[in-house]
Amino acid sequence: MQHVIVFVEHKAGHTRKVTFEMATEARTIADALGGKAHAVALGTGAAAIAEQLKAYPLDTIHVSEDTDVDKFLLDPTVDYMEAVAKSTGSALIIVPNTMLGRDVGGRLMARLDAGFNADVTDMKVEGGRLSITAPKLGGAFITTKAFKNCDFGIVTLRPNAFAAKAGGAGAQVVQIEKPAGKSYAMVVESEVEEASAEMGLEEAPVVVSGGRGLGGPEPFTTMLKPLADALGGTVGATRAAADAGWVPYSLQIGQTGKTVSPQLYIAIGISGAIQHKVGMRTAGTIVAINKDGTVPIGEFADLLVVGDLFKIIPELTKLIEAAKAAHA
Amino acid sequence: MKIVVTVKLVPDPNAEKRMDTATKRLVRTGVDTVINPYDEYAIEAALQLKEKLGGDTTVTVFSMVPETGKETVRKALAMGADDALMLSDAGLEGSDVWGTAYVMAQGLKKVGFDLVICGGLSDDGSSGGVPGALAEYLGVPGLTNARHVEVADGKLKCQRETDNGYQVVSGPLPAVVSVTMAVGEPRYPSLKGIMGAKKKTITVMPLSELGLDRPVGNDGAKTELLQFAPPPVRAKAHVVNAEDGPSGAKAIFDFLKEKKLV
Ligand SMILES: Cc1cc2nc3c(=O)[nH]c(=O)nc-3n(C[C@H](O)[C@H](O)[C@H](O)COP(=O)(O)OP(=O)(O)OC[C@H]3O[C@@H](n4cnc5c(N)ncnc54)[C@H](O)[C@@H]3O)c2cc1C
Ligand SMILES: Nc1ncnc2c1ncn2[C@@H]1O[C@H](COP(=O)(O)O)[C@@H](O)[C@H]1O
Repeated sequence: MQHVIVFVEHKAGHTRKVTFEMATEARTIADALGGKAHAVALGTGAAAIAEQLKAYPLDTIHVSEDTDVDKFLLDPTVDYMEAVAKSTGSALIIVPNTMLGRDVGGRLMARLDAGFNADVTDMKVEGGRLSITAPKLGGAFITTKAFKNCDFGIVTLRPNAFAAKAGGAGAQVVQIEKPAGKSYAMVVESEVEEASAEMGLEEAPVVVSGGRGLGGPEPFTTMLKPLADALGGTVGATRAAADAGWVPYSLQIGQTGKTVSPQLYIAIGISGAIQHKVGMRTAGTIVAINKDGTVPIGEFADLLVVGDLFKIIPELTKLIEAAKAAHA
Repeated sequence: MKIVVTVKLVPDPNAEKRMDTATKRLVRTGVDTVINPYDEYAIEAALQLKEKLGGDTTVTVFSMVPETGKETVRKALAMGADDALMLSDAGLEGSDVWGTAYVMAQGLKKVGFDLVICGGLSDDGSSGGVPGALAEYLGVPGLTNARHVEVADGKLKCQRETDNGYQVVSGPLPAVVSVTMAVGEPRYPSLKGIMGAKKKTITVMPLSELGLDRPVGNDGAKTELLQFAPPPVRAKAHVVNAEDGPSGAKAIFDFLKEKKLV
């Protein structure tokens, strides 16, 4: 493996912080392997993203504004990625560990007969060989792996696990030609937004998460949202809360939801089941509020306050807002 | 219509997991093997479709697993699937995600299908990479994370979960779909289902029947485990009993301040 190729996830030109984390990491790894750092941005808004990405230490940014990328599910995206990979030659391909990233990664694995490693939290090059760190088996183990028997390796990178650092000489932007002879079958007919996508849950520095203890949908908007706003963060939830229909599934954190690594995670009315823990155990600091002092989350939180969330949260929000006002 | 559900067997998600330092493999003794929880949802989705479509619609369970998993596979038949095929071969030991997807695809070609339904994620592997790769190797359209699957007039129509909502996606059959837990709670096998499952066919297929043209299992794997370690343990929480709202809030506020988080 010599070069590095970053897949840029974006929506109409708005991208995630992880894109810049991937671009920064791409440079480090490409230098260590003696190769070039590439990025690929596709679909409507790709050119705008390329402009933003120029601030990062990449060599080449491959762009296509082909609208087929938006109209059809995945296939056009994978075609372009495959074309870039084949023209670049032996490379590590970095995609974000998000729903779309994992999809693109899985498809490319087959296209390129590549090795695949999901949810990667660290990478190193030692003696010319790349080693990759990722938690496995629900976080029960931290594994270090290497690629073998393949020209291409694919990693899905966990957001917030790598640093983003601007710099570099300004990458060259090139247009990718449309791969010839392709037809697309899966049509995206419509798109429904159930939650705002302002701040991706995965990259929020603070996540204020609610569980079954909230008892209904209202406290998510009347209590959790103000606290999250005061802390400059966003709201998350457990599967129990999503299953109850209190919040959309897109807010769910855990094994079947999103994996987050914020600086601060506040778990409110959440017991801390293993499937939830998997998605948030690497947070910098974990604070839990629960009326029961014996809940599993007490085994891995930093602070567990035993009490009634409905009484504590509004007071906490007031304290934080007052401190902010005093500071301003 | 022939529906094939991919079912992985995994170590009980609620059991303590240990790795063997010599083989770098998960210790499976003393840990029950169960149907991957997400695949129970895939089975449920398939059975719902079968009920809706009626006629000659069948549901086949497809699992790449050692033969010792046979009785666990039978549980899927007890839920209501019609028959099962197991790809079992010592040569599959040490398969990585790539090898799993590649071999499964060759097996699925042999079995034939109109629709393959996968779980969204395996509890132990958790790459979510298999369903998409299957679609690629099978050369059919693929769609992941469906929360609702519909087949009408030989066409597929699904609601596919996205990061902040869902998309309506349609396409032709044959196809590969992976589902989320939102398709509906998996049914429990009835007593009749359990009795009936004893008579259903479970075919075991060895690798030699697939006529593979490249090494698989350990030899073909494209990733190699160098090291593994337990995760850094988080210490138990400092516990504060809040007398009332303000004192609880203050305990948290002071803690955040000390950590420079406010
Ligand atoms: C295959 C599978 C996959 C799963 N995937 C996920 C996943 O991705 N994410 C996920 O979160 N879960 C997942 N789960 C579900 C998981 O096992 C738990 O059921 C779920 O996380 C529990 O959510 P909870 O903590 O909100 O609810 P509970 O476990 O019911 O906890 C609610 C807590 O609120 C506390 N409480 C109640 N009232 C108050 C109050 N007034 N003040 C303070 N505290 C209060 C209670 O003491 C309790 O501890 C999965 C399960 C399965 C089987
Ligand atoms: N060995 C296997 N046998 C049958 N199905 C599998 C196997 N491995 C993965 N799958 C299917 O692929 C899905 C995603 O698995 P993974 O990509 O490993 O997270 C699972 O939910 C299964 O439906």
